Amino acid sequence: MIEIQNVSKAYCTRGAKTVVFDRLNLSIPRGRNLAIMGCNGAGKSTLMRLLSGAERPDSGRILRSASVSWPLGFAGGFNGSMTGVENVRFVSRVYGRDTDAVLDYVRDFAEIGHHLRLPMRTYSSGMRARLAFGLSLAIDFDCYLIDEAMSVGDARFRAKSKAAFADKMAKAGQVVMVSHSLGIIREYCNCGILLERGGKVAHFDDAESLIEAYKAHLEK
Amino acid sequence: MTTSAAHLSTHELLALQARVLGALIIRETRATFGTSQLGYLWEIITPVAMVAILIALFTALGRHPPFGESMALFFTTGIIPLFFFRKMGMTMMKAFDANKALLAYPPIKETDTLFARAALIILTYCAITWVLFGGLIALGLASAPDRAEVVFEAMAATAALGFGFGVANAVILAFWLSWDKIITMAMRPLFYFSAIFYVPSRMPPYIVDVLEWNPVLHLIEWLREGYYPNYESTIVNPAYPLGIALVLTLVGLAGERATRGRREKVRP
Repeated sequence: MIEIQNVSKAYCTRGAKTVVFDRLNLSIPRGRNLAIMGCNGAGKSTLMRLLSGAERPDSGRILRSASVSWPLGFAGGFNGSMTGVENVRFVSRVYGRDTDAVLDYVRDFAEIGHHLRLPMRTYSSGMRARLAFGLSLAIDFDCYLIDEAMSVGDARFRAKSKAAFADKMAKAGQVVMVSHSLGIIREYCNCGILLERGGKVAHFDDAESLIEAYKAHLEK
Repeated sequence: MTTSAAHLSTHELLALQARVLGALIIRETRATFGTSQLGYLWEIITPVAMVAILIALFTALGRHPPFGESMALFFTTGIIPLFFFRKMGMTMMKAFDANKALLAYPPIKETDTLFARAALIILTYCAITWVLFGGLIALGLASAPDRAEVVFEAMAATAALGFGFGVANAVILAFWLSWDKIITMAMRPLFYFSAIFYVPSRMPPYIVDVLEWNPVLHLIEWLREGYYPNYESTIVNPAYPLGIALVLTLVGLAGERATRGRREKVRP
């Protein structure tokens, strides 16, 4: 269960104030998979950061009775001068997991061989993404946050990722995702919200009505 | 205005804090000293080289040690606090920027990166101090410190002053990006004003009037009074550097908290 209570958030850039959320209320009970849709700049990623706890609201509060992941496949926290092994160890230490078990999982999943022992600045973007995705799946969470990152690597790796993720979902049971892909939303989500610029939010109790509203919103 | 971690007990929160700091310290070791083994060695080589240069200069000029029998010991008692303060200050100042990306992992908060860096610098300088003084004693260039506890206190005060100075500047740097260049420039004359190679108490009063404003000089005098059995400083006043350290730390941490929201928003 994640509950957003009266959350407001605004950004000030060079004196211009942009309101992203104005007293937003949202409750995501266990078993509900939430889709977040909206145009660019509507605040989808900000909402993800608020949900994960990486960013604080200006006012209001966010209650979590579930462990929430960082955005799935996030690779921005890796340090380029550290090896893949060191980066993986760092994250699993932060989350208090068995570093060797996490490392074994990532090694099997990412399939980047000896590169795991090289500094990450030598990685191709595909290798980084594979490692990041493997690491996200290696650590168990109750709720996964996904920000447009389900399509990494070649077809075989995608199939493997999908299978691994389905496996996780069977255990974890909850996902919050940002996506423009209607297929993915239909497949994973059973409720959703549509964000409009300026902090307007519409709630939907199933994926189809969200998708209808999203299409109508785009045509406006 | 809370992002609640209400489902965690105090014990779990403490465990989380310890875990995050531990992981960050290991990571910072790489980030601060670079990837090569030489990085650690370099931290010891720089102060040793500085002391060697001063000895060479003084010998070439035919001068006596400013105090006591050993030039090496006198210069080392000055160089260690100065380098410790500088390293602590400069590392803390850049802590926010260097670790911005890590905040995407929710358990890591901005203050964690500050404390992890501080802990790492303190551990490093404990080792450096031990190696340098130990080396001098082994070579017969120094005797053991007269009152080791006073030396330790002076080093702790140095850490506090460096921390406060660095955090306060880090907050300013977040809003004014050229600030680190100004600080780097302002730090340069510190070498001459901190009694590294002279005994300030023997200076004429009009010079002492200027020197005694420098808190780093107080730290060095403090350490020397502890190391030498008979070093008497007319200038040293522990309350002065400690007071500045306390004020800067409070102002810095309060400033960090007060501007946290606005700093987040200056995103790339």
